[in-house]
Amino acid sequence: MRLFAQFRSWLKWATKPSRLESEMEAEVRFHIESRSEDLVRRGVPAQEAMRRARIEFGGVESHKDAVRASLGLRWSGELWTDVRYAGRKLRNSPGFTLTALLVLAIGIGVNVTAFGAFNVIVLKSLPVRDPDSLVRLERRSPENLASQMPYPSVVFYRDNAKTLSAAMATMGARIELAGDVQPVNGMFVTSNYFTELGTLAAYGRLLDPAQDDTAGADPAAVLSFGFWQRRFGADPSIVGKVISVNKKTATVVGVTPHAFASLGGQHPDVWLPMTQVPYFVEASKALTETSGGGSVEMWGRLSRGVTAKVAEQELLVLTNELRKQHPKDIWDQEFIKADPGGHFQVMKPEVYVAMALVGTLTLLILAVACANLGGLLLARGVTREHEIGIRVAIGASRQRIFRQLFTESLLLALLGSAAAFAMGYVVLRTMLVMIGAPAWQSAAPDWRVCLFAVGMALAAAIFFGLAPALQTARQRQRKKIARQLLVGAQVAASCVLLIVAGLLVRATQHVLYTDPGFGYEQVSSIDPGLASHSYTPIAARAYMDQFESRLRALPGVTSVSLSSMSPLGHENVSTTTADIGGKAVTIYPSWVDADFFCTMDIPLLHGRNLLPGENNAVILSESLARKQFPGQDPVGKRFWEKDVVGVAANARTMAMNDGDAMEMYQAAQTTDMPSMVVLVKTVGPPEGLPPMAKSIAESIDPKLFPYIRLLKSDFQWNVQQVEHAAMAVSLLGIAAVLLAAIGLLGLVAYTVSERTKEIAIRIALGARPGHVLFAILRQFVWSVAVGLLAGLVGTAVLSQVLRRVLFGVSNLDSRSYLGAIGILLVVATVAALWPARRALRVNPMRALHYD
Amino acid sequence: MGKQIDLLQGTLDMLILKAVSLGSLHGYGVLLRIHQISNEQLEIQQGSLYPALYRLEHQGLISSEWGESDNNRKAKFYSLTAAGRRQLRSETEKWDRMASLIASILRTRPEAI
Repeated sequence: MRLFAQFRSWLKWATKPSRLESEMEAEVRFHIESRSEDLVRRGVPAQEAMRRARIEFGGVESHKDAVRASLGLRWSGELWTDVRYAGRKLRNSPGFTLTALLVLAIGIGVNVTAFGAFNVIVLKSLPVRDPDSLVRLERRSPENLASQMPYPSVVFYRDNAKTLSAAMATMGARIELAGDVQPVNGMFVTSNYFTELGTLAAYGRLLDPAQDDTAGADPAAVLSFGFWQRRFGADPSIVGKVISVNKKTATVVGVTPHAFASLGGQHPDVWLPMTQVPYFVEASKALTETSGGGSVEMWGRLSRGVTAKVAEQELLVLTNELRKQHPKDIWDQEFIKADPGGHFQVMKPEVYVAMALVGTLTLLILAVACANLGGLLLARGVTREHEIGIRVAIGASRQRIFRQLFTESLLLALLGSAAAFAMGYVVLRTMLVMIGAPAWQSAAPDWRVCLFAVGMALAAAIFFGLAPALQTARQRQRKKIARQLLVGAQVAASCVLLIVAGLLVRATQHVLYTDPGFGYEQVSSIDPGLASHSYTPIAARAYMDQFESRLRALPGVTSVSLSSMSPLGHENVSTTTADIGGKAVTIYPSWVDADFFCTMDIPLLHGRNLLPGENNAVILSESLARKQFPGQDPVGKRFWEKDVVGVAANARTMAMNDGDAMEMYQAAQTTDMPSMVVLVKTVGPPEGLPPMAKSIAESIDPKLFPYIRLLKSDFQWNVQQVEHAAMAVSLLGIAAVLLAAIGLLGLVAYTVSERTKEIAIRIALGARPGHVLFAILRQFVWSVAVGLLAGLVGTAVLSQVLRRVLFGVSNLDSRSYLGAIGILLVVATVAALWPARRALRVNPMRALHYD
Repeated sequence: MGKQIDLLQGTLDMLILKAVSLGSLHGYGVLLRIHQISNEQLEIQQGSLYPALYRLEHQGLISSEWGESDNNRKAKFYSLTAAGRRQLRSETEKWDRMASLIASILRTRPEAI
């Protein structure tokens, strides 16, 4: 209460200093005049009375100052003085100020950009109705997790959960429009999808429960804005037109808005009502089947006042009830996890790891920038010794000087942060455009980014400004240890960045110039999509036999085979983890036929191939065999209750970037047939194959729409990803090394000028050039060495998380480490020797005569 | 004016609160009132009165208002707030206890020990 009153009073006077001035003035005048009138009344002559009243009152200005101090105004007044003084100081040394601002803009800017991206992806709410109550619902159990579930489960949860006011289901599907060679992305959604999000159509209408859920409703299709422009040339009369989807007619009822924010970043070309799945996908049982894990994703909206935790409890009860109805289809201890769904990306632990990695790298840049500036400020502190000495002599306290110096750093940091803020906006904007981000995502900074930028400025000011300000204020800036620490920190941080950049560059080269273990240039993968059309295993087998033999008959086709997982694909990927020698290992198990190894050019190193349909045999990849049976012949051993019959060369067909991934192959069974993909190898380039394969598929079963991919395009996409990462980190690494070089250069130059006299004496006494250099650089040799060591150890630990993206290059790859050390040593030597040469040119006579 | 007595640290605030508690006063009036009720024994350094007045107002113990003085001039009048009244009461109690304690200590004679 009292505090509040004081704050109000402080605010009142602080905001109106002129009013305080005039009130004090009036009060003092009244006082002195009243006193002089009293004196006159007692017989003192008028002029003498006035004079005496003034003398009795004392120094008006010092009393006024006391008033200001009693109101707590002196502090803010001094702050203002400090800020103006700091501004003047910075303006007077534009070279220093510009360098410092540039260093800060880079250091903080990289972080602001990274945070801006994080904000857009994870923190910002979707611009939809009440985004905070949206949840993503996924099946979990201690052993399993699935992002999809059967549609009947969704219906059960929707009808019985009181904690959910609505439930939405989505199911992605490739669909074919009449006249197109390649399928387009379709998405079946429950008809409440758009009404729950509160989305309004750009043209026509969107799906809605009243019109699209009734039995016998006309099959409707909603086009995405981009697809309407690309495919239909932004036809203004599109609404009401009939299009052919999977050879079935559908009426276009509307177009989604340009800046449509969908759940989980879905961006299909065509939206279709969930109730029409059996119509568009002939023979599909997606809406009725309760077994097999299902194929829809579930989203929910929490009822008013209900938290996700409460909803999870109710859903757990419902899951247990569901288990009674379908005992086989619900896992042990299954529960439904409700994650916040109102953001672009639903946060998962893997995403956090990636973000933490990026955050660490960008903070390293800031560390280099701060250490660098710290060095500059220390050196500057020495040049200001004279000024500070005078101020101390005329009575300034150490505390006052410290405050003044730190204000200067703070002002610098805030200015640098402002530049970084602008830079972050421009870079993020460019990035969003480049990756084709949804139109609703804007790079415009919100309060979180502003807060982050200010926070960064404060943190930076403390890191680079606190120690030099303290040392300078205590007039002890000549201590060596601070300088050594700063050099060490810069070397260590740039070492980490350089090595990581080196690792990524090596990974790129590795993937470009070494064999990935399988042939991809001439192989196409065809997914006929039998499972989604509810083919039985027997029917699927018959289909595959016919399809394969007709493909083999095509000119230029050398080999055809089946696999349960499409190499380099992202669908139907299954992994299992095995515990080998106490370490969890990721294994990709595929079910293949005997022609797989020949089609994919994966050599069988040892043992024999799989026989058609055999149920008890397994082929291990070389590294898996070596890990499981070190130093032994694996053939004839048992692995997972199967006989090991052979060893194949390593081929990271499923996870090119994960050097630790391992493969095992089993013979495909008839029951696997509906979900198999066909791999076709051609003699020459594979580009001619898709149209021919398509017409074969068409003639066998016209209701299927096979999805054909060229493995080399997927390969190139994978390579591009790592190339981009390598480029970004290399840029950071180069920036860090340049900053460190500038920092070292400045500090050595400063050391030389500081010790000119000592050098002169040494030269005068006959020291050789080598000795002179050594005397100056000795202190830096240690800090560079310690910094390098710290950087190496730090990277060795940090890079563990990188293993999965290095394409098989070890995270302790010696070339990357040695390369980074080499570059840093060369840069450090040049940066140190360049300014140190000046020491050798010191003229002893002149230097010693100087004072 | 008469001989000045040095004020104990912190007692100026108490005297101002007391003076103002008897009716609202302008700054110069506070000075006169203290002089008067101390039987002209106590005189306060004139300039140091104002920092004290502003501080007390800042703490919310007194409030001020511009008004007309006896000689028809504009002057700032100070009066006690509720918080100030409480403060004065507790300060008075404290002072009384302290004064009697010190007095009894000073009256102690050797034979009393």
